[in-house]
Amino acid sequence: MIAHYGRLRRLCRLLLGDPQEAEDVVQEVFLKAHEAEQLGRAPMDWAAWLTRVAVNACRDRRRAGGWMRFRLRSSHIDDLPLVADTPGPGDVAVSEDARRRIWAAFRGLPRRQQEVFALRYIEERATTDVAVALGLSPGSVKRHLYRAVRHLRRALADAR
Amino acid sequence: MSACLSDDALARLHADLASISERAHLATCAACSGRSRQLRRDLELITAVLRDTREPLTRVAPARRRWLPAAVGLSAAAVALLVWVEVAVWRAVTPVPPTMQPQEVAAILSDVSASLFSVSGDPVPGAADDGPLSLESMAREVDSSLTGGEP
Repeated sequence: MIAHYGRLRRLCRLLLGDPQEAEDVVQEVFLKAHEAEQLGRAPMDWAAWLTRVAVNACRDRRRAGGWMRFRLRSSHIDDLPLVADTPGPGDVAVSEDARRRIWAAFRGLPRRQQEVFALRYIEERATTDVAVALGLSPGSVKRHLYRAVRHLRRALADAR
Repeated sequence: MSACLSDDALARLHADLASISERAHLATCAACSGRSRQLRRDLELITAVLRDTREPLTRVAPARRRWLPAAVGLSAAAVALLVWVEVAVWRAVTPVPPTMQPQEVAAILSDVSASLFSVSGDPVPGAADDGPLSLESMAREVDSSLTGGEP
Protein backbone atom coordinates (compact mmCIF):
# COMPACT_ATOMS: atom_id res chain seq x y z
CA MET A 1 0.00 0.00 0.00
CA ILE A 2 2.92 2.28 0.71
CA ALA A 3 3.80 2.01 -2.97
CA HIS A 4 0.76 4.14 -3.72
CA TYR A 5 1.86 6.97 -1.45
CA GLY A 6 3.78 8.98 -4.06
CA ARG A 7 1.15 8.43 -6.70
CA LEU A 8 -1.67 9.61 -4.46
CA ARG A 9 0.27 12.61 -3.24
CA ARG A 10 0.93 13.67 -6.83
CA LEU A 11 -2.72 13.17 -7.75
CA CYS A 12 -4.00 15.15 -4.75
CA ARG A 13 -1.49 17.89 -5.35
CA LEU A 14 -2.68 18.15 -8.92
CA LEU A 15 -6.33 18.28 -7.94
CA LEU A 16 -5.92 20.65 -4.99
CA GLY A 17 -2.99 22.78 -6.08
CA ASP A 18 -1.62 22.89 -2.56
CA PRO A 19 1.15 20.55 -1.32
CA GLN A 20 0.19 20.82 2.34
CA GLU A 21 -3.46 20.11 1.65
CA ALA A 22 -2.47 17.20 -0.59
CA GLU A 23 -0.35 15.75 2.20
CA ASP A 24 -3.26 16.05 4.65
CA VAL A 25 -5.63 14.32 2.23
CA VAL A 26 -3.20 11.46 1.61
CA GLN A 27 -2.84 10.92 5.37
CA GLU A 28 -6.63 10.88 5.63
CA VAL A 29 -6.88 8.34 2.80
CA PHE A 30 -4.36 5.99 4.41
CA LEU A 31 -6.16 6.29 7.71
CA LYS A 32 -9.37 5.18 6.00
CA ALA A 33 -7.51 2.35 4.32
CA HIS A 34 -6.17 1.22 7.70
CA GLU A 35 -9.66 1.34 9.19
CA ALA A 36 -11.08 -0.64 6.26
CA GLU A 37 -8.40 -3.28 6.72
CA GLN A 38 -9.03 -3.49 10.47
CA LEU A 39 -12.75 -3.92 9.89
CA GLY A 40 -12.16 -6.69 7.37
CA ARG A 41 -13.44 -4.61 4.47
CA ALA A 42 -10.24 -4.63 2.45
CA PRO A 43 -11.00 -4.10 -1.25
CA MET A 44 -9.90 -6.47 -3.98
CA ASP A 45 -8.16 -3.69 -5.88
CA TRP A 46 -6.34 -1.37 -3.49
CA ALA A 47 -5.15 0.95 -6.27
CA ALA A 48 -8.67 1.66 -7.51
CA TRP A 49 -10.02 1.96 -3.98
CA LEU A 50 -7.32 4.40 -2.88
CA THR A 51 -7.75 6.47 -6.02
CA ARG A 52 -11.50 6.71 -5.56
CA VAL A 53 -11.21 7.65 -1.88
CA ALA A 54 -8.50 10.21 -2.65
CA VAL A 55 -10.53 11.87 -5.41
CA ASN A 56 -13.59 12.02 -3.15
CA ALA A 57 -11.52 13.46 -0.30
CA CYS A 58 -10.09 16.13 -2.62
CA ARG A 59 -13.60 16.94 -3.78
CA ASP A 60 -14.78 17.30 -0.18
CA ARG A 61 -11.88 19.59 0.62
CA ARG A 62 -12.56 21.81 -2.34
CA ARG A 63 -16.27 21.90 -1.57
CA ALA A 64 -15.63 22.79 2.05
CA GLY A 65 -13.53 25.72 0.94
CA GLY A 66 -10.74 24.96 3.34
CA TRP A 67 -8.28 24.67 0.51
CA MET A 68 -9.01 28.28 -0.39
CA ARG A 69 -7.84 29.44 3.02
CA PHE A 70 -4.64 27.50 2.59
CA ARG A 71 -4.07 28.81 -0.89
CA LEU A 72 -4.58 32.39 0.21
CA ARG A 73 -2.27 31.91 3.16
CA SER A 74 1.20 33.35 3.00
CA SER A 75 3.85 31.23 1.37
CA HIS A 76 4.68 27.83 2.75
CA ILE A 77 8.28 26.82 2.65
CA ASP A 78 7.22 24.24 0.04
CA ASP A 79 5.85 26.99 -2.18
CA LEU A 80 9.06 28.91 -2.32
CA PRO A 81 10.86 28.40 -5.60
CA LEU A 82 13.84 26.58 -4.16
CA VAL A 83 15.09 25.49 -7.55
CA ALA A 84 18.21 26.26 -9.49
CA ASP A 85 18.11 29.18 -11.89
CA THR A 86 19.48 27.05 -14.65
CA PRO A 87 16.96 24.78 -16.37
CA GLY A 88 17.08 21.11 -15.53
CA PRO A 89 16.84 18.27 -18.05
CA GLY A 90 13.07 18.13 -17.74
CA ASP A 91 12.67 21.85 -18.26
CA VAL A 92 14.66 22.07 -21.45
CA ALA A 93 11.96 20.53 -23.62
CA VAL A 94 9.28 23.06 -22.75
CA SER A 95 9.58 26.80 -22.40
CA GLU A 96 8.65 28.68 -19.25
CA ASP A 97 5.77 30.36 -21.07
CA ALA A 98 4.39 27.05 -22.31
CA ARG A 99 4.65 25.59 -18.83
CA ARG A 100 2.74 28.51 -17.33
CA ARG A 101 0.08 28.34 -20.00
CA ILE A 102 -0.41 24.60 -19.56
CA TRP A 103 -0.78 24.94 -15.81
CA ALA A 104 -3.13 27.89 -16.17
CA ALA A 105 -5.20 26.00 -18.74
CA PHE A 106 -5.39 22.98 -16.45
CA ARG A 107 -6.50 25.14 -13.52
CA GLY A 108 -9.07 26.76 -15.81
CA LEU A 109 -10.70 23.40 -16.52
CA PRO A 110 -13.89 22.47 -14.66
CA ARG A 111 -13.23 20.23 -11.67
CA ARG A 112 -14.62 17.11 -13.33
CA GLN A 113 -12.45 17.56 -16.42
CA GLN A 114 -9.39 18.01 -14.20
CA GLU A 115 -10.17 14.75 -12.42
CA VAL A 116 -10.76 12.84 -15.66
CA PHE A 117 -7.60 14.14 -17.30
CA ALA A 118 -5.49 13.47 -14.21
CA LEU A 119 -6.71 9.90 -13.86
CA ARG A 120 -6.62 9.08 -17.58
CA TYR A 121 -3.30 10.65 -18.53
CA ILE A 122 -1.30 11.29 -15.37
CA GLU A 123 -2.40 8.09 -13.62
CA GLU A 124 -2.63 6.26 -16.96
CA ARG A 125 -5.80 4.45 -15.97
CA ALA A 126 -8.21 2.94 -18.46
CA THR A 127 -11.41 4.77 -19.33
CA THR A 128 -13.53 2.19 -17.54
CA ASP A 129 -11.39 2.49 -14.39
CA VAL A 130 -11.74 6.27 -14.48
CA ALA A 131 -15.48 5.89 -14.86
CA VAL A 132 -15.67 3.58 -11.84
CA ALA A 133 -13.42 5.81 -9.74
CA LEU A 134 -15.46 8.94 -10.47
CA GLY A 135 -18.88 7.32 -10.55
CA LEU A 136 -19.46 8.27 -14.19
CA SER A 137 -20.41 6.39 -17.31
CA PRO A 138 -17.57 5.60 -19.76
CA GLY A 139 -19.25 7.82 -22.35
CA SER A 140 -19.26 10.73 -19.94
CA VAL A 141 -15.59 10.17 -19.17
CA LYS A 142 -14.78 10.28 -22.89
CA ARG A 143 -16.69 13.53 -23.35
CA HIS A 144 -14.94 15.17 -20.40
CA LEU A 145 -11.63 13.93 -21.74
CA TYR A 146 -12.32 15.28 -25.23
CA ARG A 147 -13.15 18.75 -23.85
CA ALA A 148 -10.11 18.77 -21.57
CA VAL A 149 -7.76 17.68 -24.36
CA ARG A 150 -9.15 20.31 -26.72
CA HIS A 151 -8.75 23.06 -24.11
CA LEU A 152 -5.23 22.08 -23.08
CA ARG A 153 -4.04 21.68 -26.65
CA ARG A 154 -5.28 25.14 -27.54
CA ALA A 155 -3.30 26.54 -24.61
CA LEU A 156 -0.19 24.75 -25.88
CA ALA A 157 -0.79 26.04 -29.41
CA ASP A 158 -1.06 29.60 -28.07
CA ALA A 159 2.32 29.19 -26.41
CA ARG A 160 3.99 28.27 -29.71
CA MET B 1 -11.51 10.04 -50.36
CA SER B 2 -13.17 12.08 -47.61
CA ALA B 3 -11.94 15.47 -46.42
CA CYS B 4 -9.17 15.61 -43.84
CA LEU B 5 -10.13 15.60 -40.16
CA SER B 6 -10.40 18.77 -38.16
CA ASP B 7 -8.50 19.30 -34.91
CA ASP B 8 -11.72 18.67 -33.00
CA ALA B 9 -12.21 15.41 -34.84
CA LEU B 10 -8.67 14.35 -33.95
CA ALA B 11 -9.33 15.19 -30.31
CA ARG B 12 -12.48 13.09 -30.50
CA LEU B 13 -10.42 10.24 -31.92
CA HIS B 14 -8.06 10.39 -28.95
CA ALA B 15 -11.01 10.41 -26.58
CA ASP B 16 -12.45 7.38 -28.36
CA LEU B 17 -15.49 9.35 -29.50
CA ALA B 18 -14.83 9.37 -33.25
CA SER B 19 -17.19 7.86 -35.79
CA ILE B 20 -16.36 4.84 -37.93
CA SER B 21 -15.85 7.00 -41.01
CA GLU B 22 -13.40 9.25 -39.15
CA ARG B 23 -11.43 6.23 -38.02
CA ALA B 24 -11.43 4.88 -41.52
CA HIS B 25 -10.13 8.17 -42.85
CA LEU B 26 -7.33 8.26 -40.29
CA ALA B 27 -6.23 4.80 -41.31
CA THR B 28 -5.83 5.85 -44.93
CA CYS B 29 -4.69 9.49 -44.73
CA ALA B 30 -1.02 10.10 -44.13
CA ALA B 31 -1.53 13.80 -43.34
CA CYS B 32 -4.14 13.10 -40.68
CA SER B 33 -2.01 10.31 -39.25
CA GLY B 34 0.85 12.78 -38.88
CA ARG B 35 -1.41 15.30 -37.18
CA SER B 36 -2.70 12.59 -34.90
CA ARG B 37 0.87 11.71 -33.92
CA GLN B 38 1.50 15.39 -33.24
CA LEU B 39 -1.57 15.50 -31.00
CA ARG B 40 -0.24 12.48 -29.10
CA ARG B 41 3.13 14.19 -28.66
CA ASP B 42 1.36 17.34 -27.41
CA LEU B 43 -0.57 15.29 -24.89
CA GLU B 44 2.64 13.63 -23.72
CA LEU B 45 4.20 17.05 -23.28
CA ILE B 46 1.17 18.37 -21.35
CA THR B 47 1.15 15.28 -19.18
CA ALA B 48 4.87 15.60 -18.49
CA VAL B 49 4.47 19.25 -17.51
CA LEU B 50 1.61 18.50 -15.13
CA ARG B 51 3.31 15.44 -13.68
CA ASP B 52 6.93 16.56 -13.42
CA THR B 53 7.03 20.33 -13.05
CA ARG B 54 6.14 22.55 -10.17
CA GLU B 55 3.03 24.64 -10.57
CA PRO B 56 3.95 28.31 -11.09
CA LEU B 57 3.08 30.56 -8.18
CA THR B 58 1.06 32.89 -10.35
CA ARG B 59 -2.10 30.88 -10.81
CA VAL B 60 -5.34 31.57 -12.55
CA ALA B 61 -7.74 32.96 -9.99
CA PRO B 62 -10.54 30.55 -9.14
CA ALA B 63 -13.99 31.52 -10.36
CA ARG B 64 -15.10 32.65 -6.92
CA ARG B 65 -12.16 35.02 -6.56
CA ARG B 66 -12.70 36.49 -10.02
CA TRP B 67 -16.05 37.83 -8.81
CA LEU B 68 -14.55 39.56 -5.80
CA PRO B 69 -13.45 42.83 -7.49
CA ALA B 70 -16.78 43.11 -9.29
CA ALA B 71 -18.68 42.54 -6.04
CA VAL B 72 -16.60 45.14 -4.21
CA GLY B 73 -17.06 47.63 -7.04
CA LEU B 74 -20.82 47.12 -7.16
CA SER B 75 -21.08 47.51 -3.39
CA ALA B 76 -19.10 50.75 -3.48
CA ALA B 77 -21.29 52.06 -6.31
CA ALA B 78 -24.44 51.18 -4.35
CA VAL B 79 -23.16 53.00 -1.27
CA ALA B 80 -22.22 56.05 -3.35
CA LEU B 81 -25.68 56.06 -4.93
CA LEU B 82 -27.36 55.92 -1.52
CA VAL B 83 -25.23 58.80 -0.25
CA TRP B 84 -26.02 60.87 -3.33
CA VAL B 85 -29.75 60.19 -2.97
CA GLU B 86 -29.59 61.23 0.68
CA VAL B 87 -27.59 64.40 0.04
CA ALA B 88 -28.85 65.63 -3.29
CA VAL B 89 -32.35 64.28 -3.75
CA TRP B 90 -33.87 63.54 -0.38
CA ARG B 91 -32.83 66.80 1.22
CA ALA B 92 -33.96 68.78 -1.82
CA VAL B 93 -37.53 67.45 -1.72
CA THR B 94 -37.91 67.41 2.08
CA PRO B 95 -39.46 70.73 3.35
CA VAL B 96 -37.36 72.51 5.92
CA PRO B 97 -39.36 73.15 9.13
CA PRO B 98 -40.01 76.87 9.62
CA THR B 99 -37.86 78.54 12.22
CA MET B 100 -39.59 80.73 14.79
CA GLN B 101 -38.63 84.18 15.83
CA PRO B 102 -37.62 84.77 19.49
CA GLN B 103 -40.77 86.89 20.10
CA GLU B 104 -43.00 84.03 18.93
CA VAL B 105 -41.19 81.59 21.17
CA ALA B 106 -41.62 83.93 24.13
CA ALA B 107 -45.34 84.36 23.41
CA ILE B 108 -45.90 80.62 23.25
CA LEU B 109 -43.99 80.05 26.46
CA SER B 110 -45.97 82.74 28.24
CA ASP B 111 -49.22 81.11 27.09
CA VAL B 112 -48.07 77.79 28.41
CA SER B 113 -46.96 79.37 31.66
CA ALA B 114 -50.24 81.19 32.10
CA SER B 115 -52.21 78.01 31.55
CA LEU B 116 -50.11 76.09 34.00
CA PHE B 117 -50.32 78.59 36.84
CA SER B 118 -53.91 79.72 36.36
CA VAL B 119 -56.16 78.75 39.31
CA SER B 120 -59.47 78.96 37.47
CA GLY B 121 -58.16 77.32 34.36
CA ASP B 122 -58.45 80.56 32.42
CA PRO B 123 -55.34 82.31 31.34
CA VAL B 124 -54.15 85.06 33.59
CA PRO B 125 -55.62 88.21 32.11
CA GLY B 126 -53.09 90.31 30.32
CA ALA B 127 -50.35 87.80 30.90
CA ALA B 128 -50.16 86.78 27.30
CA ASP B 129 -50.11 90.35 26.21
CA ASP B 130 -47.68 91.61 28.81
CA GLY B 131 -45.03 89.15 28.00
CA PRO B 132 -43.67 86.36 30.16
CA LEU B 133 -44.61 86.32 33.84
CA SER B 134 -41.93 87.18 36.31
CA LEU B 135 -41.21 84.98 39.31
CA GLU B 136 -42.47 87.67 41.65
CA SER B 137 -45.84 87.99 39.94
CA MET B 138 -46.23 84.24 39.87
CA ALA B 139 -45.40 84.06 43.58
CA ARG B 140 -47.96 86.78 44.35
CA GLU B 141 -50.63 84.89 42.46
CA VAL B 142 -49.91 81.67 44.28
CA ASP B 143 -49.87 83.49 47.64
CA SER B 144 -53.16 85.23 47.00
CA SER B 145 -54.84 82.04 45.90
CA LEU B 146 -53.72 80.27 49.09
CA THR B 147 -54.67 83.02 51.51
CA GLY B 148 -57.90 84.07 49.75
CA GLY B 149 -56.57 87.51 48.91
CA GLU B 150 -55.81 88.54 52.52
CA PRO B 151 -52.35 89.90 53.21
